[in-house]
Amino acid sequence: MSSDSRFALLVLKTDIEPHMIKNFTSACKFFILVFVFAFVSSTSSAQEISTDPAAIKAGEGIFNANCKSCHKVKEKLVGPALAGVDERAPSIDWIKSFIKNPPGMIASGDAYANNLYKDYKPTMMTAFSSLKDEDIMNVLAYVKAKEAEVPKDDVIKDPVPGGENTEAGGSDLLNLVAIGVVIVLLLLVVTLALLISSLKRFLDQKNLNEEEKEVVHSPITLKSALSSPAFIFIVAFLVAALGFKTVINNLFAIGVQQGYAPKQPIAFSHKIHAGDLEIDCKYCHVGVTKGKSATIPSVNICMNCHNQIKEGAQTGASQIKQITDAYANNEPIKWVRIHNLPDLAYFNHAQHVVVGGVECQTCHGPIQEMEVVKQHSLLTMGWCIDCHRKTDIDTTRNAEYYDKMLKIHAEKKGSKAPFKVEDIGGLECSKCHY
Amino acid sequence: MRLVKNLFVGISAAALLTACGAGGNDQGTEYAPNMYHSVAYEPYSQIDDWEAGRWVTSIEYPKLDSVTEGHAEYYNSNNFNPHKMNMRDPAPNTVSRNKQGWLPYRLGKDSLAYAAATLKNPLDSTASVIADGKILYETYCDHCHGAKGNGDGKVAGGAEGEGIKVVVNGETKTRNTYNGIANLRSDALKGISEGHIFHVITQGKGLMWAHGSQISPEDRWKIAKYVKTLQK
Repeated sequence: MSSDSRFALLVLKTDIEPHMIKNFTSACKFFILVFVFAFVSSTSSAQEISTDPAAIKAGEGIFNANCKSCHKVKEKLVGPALAGVDERAPSIDWIKSFIKNPPGMIASGDAYANNLYKDYKPTMMTAFSSLKDEDIMNVLAYVKAKEAEVPKDDVIKDPVPGGENTEAGGSDLLNLVAIGVVIVLLLLVVTLALLISSLKRFLDQKNLNEEEKEVVHSPITLKSALSSPAFIFIVAFLVAALGFKTVINNLFAIGVQQGYAPKQPIAFSHKIHAGDLEIDCKYCHVGVTKGKSATIPSVNICMNCHNQIKEGAQTGASQIKQITDAYANNEPIKWVRIHNLPDLAYFNHAQHVVVGGVECQTCHGPIQEMEVVKQHSLLTMGWCIDCHRKTDIDTTRNAEYYDKMLKIHAEKKGSKAPFKVEDIGGLECSKCHY
Repeated sequence: MRLVKNLFVGISAAALLTACGAGGNDQGTEYAPNMYHSVAYEPYSQIDDWEAGRWVTSIEYPKLDSVTEGHAEYYNSNNFNPHKMNMRDPAPNTVSRNKQGWLPYRLGKDSLAYAAATLKNPLDSTASVIADGKILYETYCDHCHGAKGNGDGKVAGGAEGEGIKVVVNGETKTRNTYNGIANLRSDALKGISEGHIFHVITQGKGLMWAHGSQISPEDRWKIAKYVKTLQK
């Protein structure tokens, strides 16, 4: 029996089914058909779920491409778990026809399909009419193979590739260099000691008087070394210099919050989200291309993932629970603001990110490596101005606008003069202070 | 001895000043604090302590009632909003319109079939729209749906679907992955309309939550255009 004729039978079956409930004779016809159908099914060798590795492999590909988004083998996801589906469902052919046209099967009044729909309403399975019968058989082979697999909850022993190894390599090199320097210094000391003793021996061979002998063999004691004017001067100078440096540094630190890394109400890690998972900064900080503030994500943005992910590898459930609670109770989360520009200065994110094309990391530092966010830059006026003096303007993205400007600039300052942010008013007081 | 005295004075001054720098939970010393704190409402700088900055307060802010004194210098909250938040709800019975004059999208989550059949992309398939769509896709979509739309982004567990391994206290653990991420290039989704994509981004579908609050309607249409090029 070819697959074509089985398909024809199915079509016939669907045509008849709506009448089945009302009409006994049609029901009889239906049962006969089902009987014939079952007979056909049992005789057909294609209904055996294959254990052939090739079929399982092929099935895995099809499963991952089409089914994975809604089904898991052992757990319920959007749709039911697929393990045991071949025994649970009325027949293999039922599975095939359901996959190809779920809405049609439900509309036809098929009891099993309708029960299924009742459990998952209003979600309706997508119709996969493009899947061939053998594709579906391969998927079933994969499901069966996966079902039999023993869950492996053992911990993976291999070290994590990347980061750590290179870091270890770097510190090894540093150690080697340090050891080398120490060896060189020791050699120097030994050479100097040898030099002194040979010089002394040389002087001893000459005929020296008593005074000269005393000078040559004068004992260097700890006390004489400590009370020498040279030593006192060096110590006093070092202490004074260090003290002066500390005073200056700290005076400059007033009003500068570089290094500020407050504890947040939730131990949110940028390293996990932006680093490991490579979620774009703008996915959460949606305002950064639109306005002054980069915006702190509202809880619904957190919930886009954390409606499902409730446990972190580092902190378990305790931290993520605060998000889900905040969402459930409609409570704002009180994040601590880190970057505070004084009210007397105006800064706009969109202007810098969209027009200037500045990367987040240019000002915020390696955010994707920070477990706790820390203010990376000075955020002083000197720091702003410095960047405005050094940064070239990319005139290619809005050539129409900049062409005239470049012409005037070339006339005034010469054709080779660099075109920096300061040349378009980046140093004007009233751009930021008004 | 005078030298020692001088050194002592210098060092204690330096030690005192170290308290000025910022670090950890310490914000450091502010210079001219009453010029730093905004009188007008500022986003993300809400201070709801009525007495904060009383020592520098130079203006008499209006009294709250006959007894309570006006707020202090740093206070920056709206007493009339829930949680004293600074942001305000839009005026009732008004709708926002964007640059193009579009009205807000009103179809509900269950209207996917209707949206897919009727919505037309108002943007043309120009190279710049598709290029914008690619940038937006890489911002909002690819960490789940993958760079090529195969449903294999890092959040979905990567190409192997096994998730990202991390070492926590010497123990290797797997980061949790998000289930149910659609393969945009599967046969079942190849034929979907741009309206379908727009609706799903806006309202979500299956295990995907709504992204309408994050992505503007115009950007959603651009993403829809780009996703169609991925599906070819």
